Amino acid sequence: MNYTQKWYDKPISKLILISISLTWMFPYIGFLLSSFREPDAIKQAAWWTSIFSGQIFTEFTFENYTEILFAEDLSRSFFNSFAVVIPSTIIPITIAAFAAYAFAFIDFKGKDLAFLFVIAMMIVPLQMSLIPLVSIMNKGAILFGLPIIPELKITGTFVSVWFAHTGFGLPLATFLLRDFMMGLPRSVIESAKIDGASHLTTFYRLALPLSFAGVAAFATFQFLWVYNDFLVANVFLGINPRNQVITSHVAQLTVGNYGEAWHLRTAGAVVSMVVPLIVFFSLQRFFIRGLIGGAVKG
Amino acid sequence: MRKSLIGLLLILSMVAVACGNSLEGQEVIYFGAPATDGPDGQAIQSSFDQFTEDTGIIVTYVGSENFESELLAQIEAGNPPNIALWPQPGTVRAQAEAGNLIPLEDLGVDLEEYRSNFSPYLVGLGEVDGVPYGGAHAVNLKSIVWYQPAEFDSRGYAIPDTWDEMIALADQIVAEGMTPFCFGMYSNGATGWLATDWMEDIMLRTGNGTTSYDQWVNHEIPFNDPIVKNAATYLSQIMHTDGYVVGGSDAIVSTFFGDAQNPMFERDGNGNPGCFMHRQASFIPGFWPEDAKEGLGTETTFFPFPDMEVPSDTVLGAGDMWAVLVNDEATQAVVDFMLSENYFDAIASDVAGTGSTRISAHIGFDTSKYWSPTTQKQADFLKAALAANVFRFDGSDNMPPEVGSGSFWSEMTELAVQGPGYIDTALDTIEKSWP
Amino acid sequence: MSIKSDSNKLLSFGVRIIAFSVFPMIWFLSQAILFREITNRIPRALLIFLAITIGSSFIFFLYAGMNKIISYAPKSYQEGLYGAMFVGPAIFLLGLFLFYPAIRTIYLSFRDKWGENSVGLDNYVWAFSDKIMQITIRNQFIWLVGVVTLAIMIGLIVAYVSDKLQKGEAVFKSIIFLPMAISGVGSSAIFKFIYAYRPPPLTQIGFLNGLRVTGGNDDMGNPCKNNIIENGRKIDYVNDGCTQPIGWLQQRDLTKFTSFENVTPDDSFFSWLVNFPLNTILLMIIMVWMYTGFAMIVFSAAIKAVPTEITEAGRIDGASEARIFLSVIMPYVKSTIVVVATYLTVTVLKAYDIVFVTTRGDFETNLLAVKMMDEFSKFLHFGRASTVSILIFISVVPIIVLNVFRNKEDEAL
Repeated sequence: MNYTQKWYDKPISKLILISISLTWMFPYIGFLLSSFREPDAIKQAAWWTSIFSGQIFTEFTFENYTEILFAEDLSRSFFNSFAVVIPSTIIPITIAAFAAYAFAFIDFKGKDLAFLFVIAMMIVPLQMSLIPLVSIMNKGAILFGLPIIPELKITGTFVSVWFAHTGFGLPLATFLLRDFMMGLPRSVIESAKIDGASHLTTFYRLALPLSFAGVAAFATFQFLWVYNDFLVANVFLGINPRNQVITSHVAQLTVGNYGEAWHLRTAGAVVSMVVPLIVFFSLQRFFIRGLIGGAVKG
Repeated sequence: MRKSLIGLLLILSMVAVACGNSLEGQEVIYFGAPATDGPDGQAIQSSFDQFTEDTGIIVTYVGSENFESELLAQIEAGNPPNIALWPQPGTVRAQAEAGNLIPLEDLGVDLEEYRSNFSPYLVGLGEVDGVPYGGAHAVNLKSIVWYQPAEFDSRGYAIPDTWDEMIALADQIVAEGMTPFCFGMYSNGATGWLATDWMEDIMLRTGNGTTSYDQWVNHEIPFNDPIVKNAATYLSQIMHTDGYVVGGSDAIVSTFFGDAQNPMFERDGNGNPGCFMHRQASFIPGFWPEDAKEGLGTETTFFPFPDMEVPSDTVLGAGDMWAVLVNDEATQAVVDFMLSENYFDAIASDVAGTGSTRISAHIGFDTSKYWSPTTQKQADFLKAALAANVFRFDGSDNMPPEVGSGSFWSEMTELAVQGPGYIDTALDTIEKSWP
Repeated sequence: MSIKSDSNKLLSFGVRIIAFSVFPMIWFLSQAILFREITNRIPRALLIFLAITIGSSFIFFLYAGMNKIISYAPKSYQEGLYGAMFVGPAIFLLGLFLFYPAIRTIYLSFRDKWGENSVGLDNYVWAFSDKIMQITIRNQFIWLVGVVTLAIMIGLIVAYVSDKLQKGEAVFKSIIFLPMAISGVGSSAIFKFIYAYRPPPLTQIGFLNGLRVTGGNDDMGNPCKNNIIENGRKIDYVNDGCTQPIGWLQQRDLTKFTSFENVTPDDSFFSWLVNFPLNTILLMIIMVWMYTGFAMIVFSAAIKAVPTEITEAGRIDGASEARIFLSVIMPYVKSTIVVVATYLTVTVLKAYDIVFVTTRGDFETNLLAVKMMDEFSKFLHFGRASTVSILIFISVVPIIVLNVFRNKEDEAL
């Protein structure tokens, strides 16, 4: 890409970018700063005032963080979060990848109808299916007088949250991965079929590796969504603190109506952001590459 | 592959469930609205420490901001907690009517003793068709106004005994260039409840006193009755008179109720506090800034809500109520403990160190056990009112939710914003929404 | 021959049943029972280890098992059966976890408070005649239009402009994408801090109110600025004549702003502007902030896929940059815009935590998803709660139709 000076190297385009980026970064700054200020200082002078007066250095403290981290058994919540997040990411992606492959490369009866069904499920509001779903996981389901699911009583265990997140994540995963796989060169898949490879082999050997970037990209999405979710986890894991995930733990500390506890609110929210940010930055390359691959279509 | 799957299934299905049946080590989940990590949640948990040591039953208190919807989800799913603690007895009755609760009698509670220990009035709040479901837990006192004696004394202000004296004092404060009242009623999803509290306090002291109050709560008189309109006019006097409220009447709906009192603790350049009077319930010190909490009872204390048209000793209060959803032996033991006199010991003496100002609903509870003299005073006040049957529970909590946590809240918010001209519309709208 | 083909049909039908229900069911039940049984029997650390390892890998057995079964089927049927096998578990789980609950909700929307008696269309009449519901529907519309267009527009601009940068592209993109990694609760906390309001004698710690009280002079001619406590002493700068701070999330209209103070809703052509729902817009901005990054990343990928020869050819021909963008880039990203719009629409309709954490629907800021949970948990009205979720469902129908057409178009190409 050896272009000479073009419009996009002109200051105006950079100015647009820089001003948008600054606007986007702005909300973090005061919030992050405040998490390092003494509880009283936050209320006595606005954060920008304390920057201008230089006070920010004298009132700098880590105490808000020690209070948030060590007054509570936060490590337990971290482990719980991982036990929830990892299977809740892998299971829906696996199922969705198979389905996406079929939608993209296999001709079978009722394909359009099945795909329409998947898309339609994308819009079932999470809140709408939450309660009946809890009831399926506990009391089972009866269709026309026939018990199709037995009484399982699995709420309060990790497995129920995996299922729930699988259900909620599946439509979008299928939709996006199908889009991605439609973009793969069809000729490659066709030639594998001519060579006599079975669909399972083609899937494992060709489609999956080729769309690995897309899978990784969606995995990042699903990971962030599950990690950041607190409604589903709270409902399915029940109310026992033993099962608490990090978000509901931090949400309790931060959203609580405990006066103007901005020092806890800021520090708590910052703590909860650390893992998703690490995941995002370490997977960012996959993520972006995945989306680039997915967009190769006419 | 298929074989191994079926084999796995067989192994799984053969795993038998075996459980010991001693109470030792049994777990009882207690679910409520005050957050687990918040001061009230910690105080509630601490009250079971001794009990767990004595009986081996593990009581776990869990609190959530999202209590109502999570609880409903658990109930719908057939997986409820053993005991739940509701901030409003009205909801206990609704749940009992829906068939989700277990009557106290079935838990082996001696109802006679329960009624005499907690007053028939309180017990009645958790009854459906004369069958008690709810267990009275803690009560709070609402008919009080917080103030700082030193600020009053240094300016020669006297504690107002009547509404007119309070208005006169407020006018004097305004004339001296200061602000008399702190008033903030913003509350996430419940904005307006503070104004309904004011309305209730005024209703108890106007019209026909407790008689018309009870009629109003039970909808025996319409919501737009002249008595109610009169009360709303009094409230509007506080909210809409120029200079009465910190930040002006616009600030009322924008100020979080837990922050509303903060101007009282700050001094301006002339050493004057931001406000002088703050009508709010006995639990509010939990929201005060740390240094203000230390001055509870000395720097900052309270006077009773002033008398109005009908002089009375009636006390407005509120409280929470628990009810049982799962009946087992361990839960029964916990219920017995919660109804006993010494259940509140740990909370009252502040074992958890959170500065909880909760007050036991048990009439026999020794009020000298409260760590704070202010709480002691409030508890004595409440105890006397309960014994004399002049205690009245927060009316909006006892109205149907469409009104009590719906239109009554939203129309009072609207009234605060729109000004006195809106009183009629507000009351008519609430009347119309009564189911 | 015909008997053979009949039996083949029967066999393939059997395999379909197995693919669509028996196998997924076995997977579902065995995983559920396994983890239910081990949950309280093994140490916590081991449980978490097993949850991560077995929980994630169990699903592969499902597909391996199905593949084995299909290999017994006659060759001519295998193609269709593979389709069934690959799609089966997804359809099964969606049916069980989303479709069945949705049907139940539709049924409940015609029932009364506890779902006991039929009430006909009463709940729907309520949904469109109730004042609060009307406002909720209006807000949902504002959010849909606002979030989708703003996120797509800003995302497209940043993607297009940053794509041509020699360096620094990743930095810009990361900054804009960052909010996507944060929970709705966290983002709301951040913005709540910006919108924070404290009654006037107190220091304004929210940025918007800080700006509002700064500037101009009071009645005495002293400059107005934020109050402050210095060395334990309070200094008041906000005096009579200064602009007073306002509760941003409580402003349903613009009457608190000087230019609009004297305009009443009826007597001016400004009336529609006065009724501008400021708080709803401010909450909507949180979501725009969160999701613009998503739109940007996807567009950026789509733009990168446009063959450079085409754009270069356009440039050599002397086409203006705007023209290249409109006639070369746009056709390429058109289908991507539909994908992004679909995703955003669905996300906006599900948006729950922002409003729940900030106002919980007070001051006319409610959204359908929050209203639904309110009807369910606050007013205990299952029928109305179901009706509201049906409305959410209906709102998304147009975007499905759009997608169906897009798929047809793709196939035609």
